[in-house]
Amino acid sequence: MDFAISSILFYVFAAMALICACSVIFASNPVTSAMSMALCFAATAAILFGMGAQFLGIVQIIVYAGAILVLFLFVVMMLDIKTEEEDNDFGVVRNLVRMTPGVLVAGVLGAMICIAALKLPGARDWNNPLCTAWNARSELCIGKQQSTVTVTDNKDFGGALPALNPVAATNDTKASSIPDVKLLGKRLFTQYNIEFVILSFALLAGTVGAVALSRKIHKD
Amino acid sequence: MSYTPVKRPKFSLLDKIYVVELVKGLAITMKHLVLSLLGRSRSKKDFNGKGVGACMPFPEQRWDSQLPSYYRGAPSLVRGEDGRERCVSCQLCEFICPARAIKITPGAVSPDAACQKQEKAPAEFEIDMLRCIYCGMCQEVCPEQAIFLSKEYLITVTDRKQALRKKADLYKLGGTRKGLVNKWNQYK
Amino acid sequence: MSLFDSIWNWCVDLLSNEIWFYLITTVVKLVLMFAVILAFVVLSVWIERRVAGWIQDRPGPNRAGIPLQLFQRFGSKEKQPLKEWLHFFGVPETCWIAKLCTWLRLDREIPTFGLMQPCLDGGKLFLKQELTPSYVRKIYFTIAPMLVLGPPMVAAAVIPFASSVTTDFGTINMVVANIGIGPLWIFAISGLSVYGLTLAGWSSNSKYPFLGGLRATAQLISYEVAMGLSIIPLLMMFSTLNMQDIVQYQADNGWTLLPLWGEGLSWQRWAMMVPLGLSFIIFVTCVFAEANRTPFDMAECETDLVGGYHSEYSSMKFASFFMGEYAAMVIGSALVVTLFLGGWSIGFGADAALHSVCSWLAVCCQFLMFLIKLVAFVVFFVWVRWTLPRFRWDQVMKLGWLVFLELAVANIFLTAAVLYFIK
Repeated sequence: MDFAISSILFYVFAAMALICACSVIFASNPVTSAMSMALCFAATAAILFGMGAQFLGIVQIIVYAGAILVLFLFVVMMLDIKTEEEDNDFGVVRNLVRMTPGVLVAGVLGAMICIAALKLPGARDWNNPLCTAWNARSELCIGKQQSTVTVTDNKDFGGALPALNPVAATNDTKASSIPDVKLLGKRLFTQYNIEFVILSFALLAGTVGAVALSRKIHKD
Repeated sequence: MSYTPVKRPKFSLLDKIYVVELVKGLAITMKHLVLSLLGRSRSKKDFNGKGVGACMPFPEQRWDSQLPSYYRGAPSLVRGEDGRERCVSCQLCEFICPARAIKITPGAVSPDAACQKQEKAPAEFEIDMLRCIYCGMCQEVCPEQAIFLSKEYLITVTDRKQALRKKADLYKLGGTRKGLVNKWNQYK
Repeated sequence: MSLFDSIWNWCVDLLSNEIWFYLITTVVKLVLMFAVILAFVVLSVWIERRVAGWIQDRPGPNRAGIPLQLFQRFGSKEKQPLKEWLHFFGVPETCWIAKLCTWLRLDREIPTFGLMQPCLDGGKLFLKQELTPSYVRKIYFTIAPMLVLGPPMVAAAVIPFASSVTTDFGTINMVVANIGIGPLWIFAISGLSVYGLTLAGWSSNSKYPFLGGLRATAQLISYEVAMGLSIIPLLMMFSTLNMQDIVQYQADNGWTLLPLWGEGLSWQRWAMMVPLGLSFIIFVTCVFAEANRTPFDMAECETDLVGGYHSEYSSMKFASFFMGEYAAMVIGSALVVTLFLGGWSIGFGADAALHSVCSWLAVCCQFLMFLIKLVAFVVFFVWVRWTLPRFRWDQVMKLGWLVFLELAVANIFLTAAVLYFIK
């Protein structure tokens, strides 16, 4: 067996995320949809945890599962949307016409994502998806200038999940030494500062817009 | 104007910040906590409490001596000074009882009784303590001063049948009562 | 003897393996943490009722004892069941069995100070009839209590309860998951319990639970924002998100709110007390709101909502909500203790001194210290509950969005100024 525990968990959570994503679309009850979306987010966060990107994972849970989706659920419950009923009054041809654009767009998007993913380094190493991902990440992020980061405490298994095979374990310790909050912060505020500021302004504009829209205008 | 507007108090900035008032409130509750732990709660003496706080540990210590004279406990049947059953089974209490707790089977006075003038006496007198609401209407309505609410308040049963009080139990609870009007004595 | 030796050797071999060592220690820590949390849930119910009693000048539950009725004397000296019992078996009263029984206090009531009360209540709730109304949405109605009880238990994983110990086989770090995002993990996971409240309110399919669920959702989301922002000054000071490192820093350099040793004696740390005190107030208030405790128990305020989101629940499902609430309170207390009151550290340099004597002794003392601090803060929770009346709903929202959010943001700038200008 060449599998690391984290790789098995990767496949488990990936499958869970996919199944939940499908159930978001196919569930007839809107609350079920919202809840499976939450599960999907949780599974994605778990995959990120497995890769040692704890900060991203936790932000995924805090922001998406903890706040945005709760608001979704809130609205769905407030409006009390009834279970969707199947409407098959349309003919076969009309159904086809209706479905074609959707299938086309989804197919093109899916293909793009697949090609991009397969081009990533180590994407075809099915046995050990996470180890290769860690390798790729350490090359991408730490590479040259971050190599001064010292390994603080390997015994804690602070970062990625411990692997049960030796190769994975060595990779594991290497990856767990990435202080990913610091790394992210540094990147965000130095290299990608302008983009960050622009995005923040866009969000601020959205907030101000929402306030302006929801404000009651008193006509005297 | 059908209503008077409530005058709201003016709050100073210190009040609005709320923290100072919060600390004051916390100090008050902490004072109560400490005093009750030390056994010096306020009005502990007035209540004659012996336990923590102003309380009295109930089964060991009781308030029986402080019960007021008008206390309404379990109803009971009484005998007069001459030892006569006072109830004449007129069934007024049975009819007035709002909870229908009382059930009387009327009968004749036993032939060997000293006083035969009232002619009737209850053959059986039952009070269902599960139904009784201790309202005291039976006592009020009784023309014979035969039924009184006692000061008994510990009514604990393990069985529904035990809650059904028979005539003998009721007389035992009521006992003899002095100073009642003996209206049957004037009839010859 | 060889059997014993071989078992011993096998254990040593097992522990020498790095992975098995990690797994075994983690499981032990996990069980310990779980036991402590559950015990604290029970204990905090007792604390709540006893302290409530004392504050209101009454004793609170002090009767429920260990039901050894066969042995109990019931206050009277005549009735001594132990004697009768011994007599029944023909054991003389001077025999060592009789003495042992007397020494074990089997002849009298065991003073439990009412500690058995929550256990008996729990047993009662287990045995109660479970009633599921016919009009509820069954699946969500069933999973909602789990979603309330589960998250606080999981969130506890990152709270350190002692420092680390070096054994022959490796270092044991006394925290279940030593991850680099401690406080964020707790915010994220305990924030998930909002699903439980919302779903409980919705799936009950009746008015008051629904309103309670809506209130819970709105309140928890609102206060999560201020809560997250309020600890940023702390993180600026600690410059780490690892809980164990945060507590270690406090052990070396003075607790956040008690900087009396180490680096804490510098001017900078004393100037930092202003923003840190502010963030303590904001954070504690937000923890109250997150744990749905008075004065913020809007979601279940019985005066306007009957029972709030758990109106339709009974038996053990209700108990799950109840326990989840107390677990959230315990986790909130643990978080406050860890971030502001030094976590497991004994303080005044005692940690390092104890470690130089014996690290296991140090760990035990630190664990005790952590528990003491936790109990103290739980008592504080209860104390506030029996002091303050409940806020009005609009006041709660106003406080969250118009006061605490702004205050927390301003506090960040204040901290930055202090850190920049005062050296």
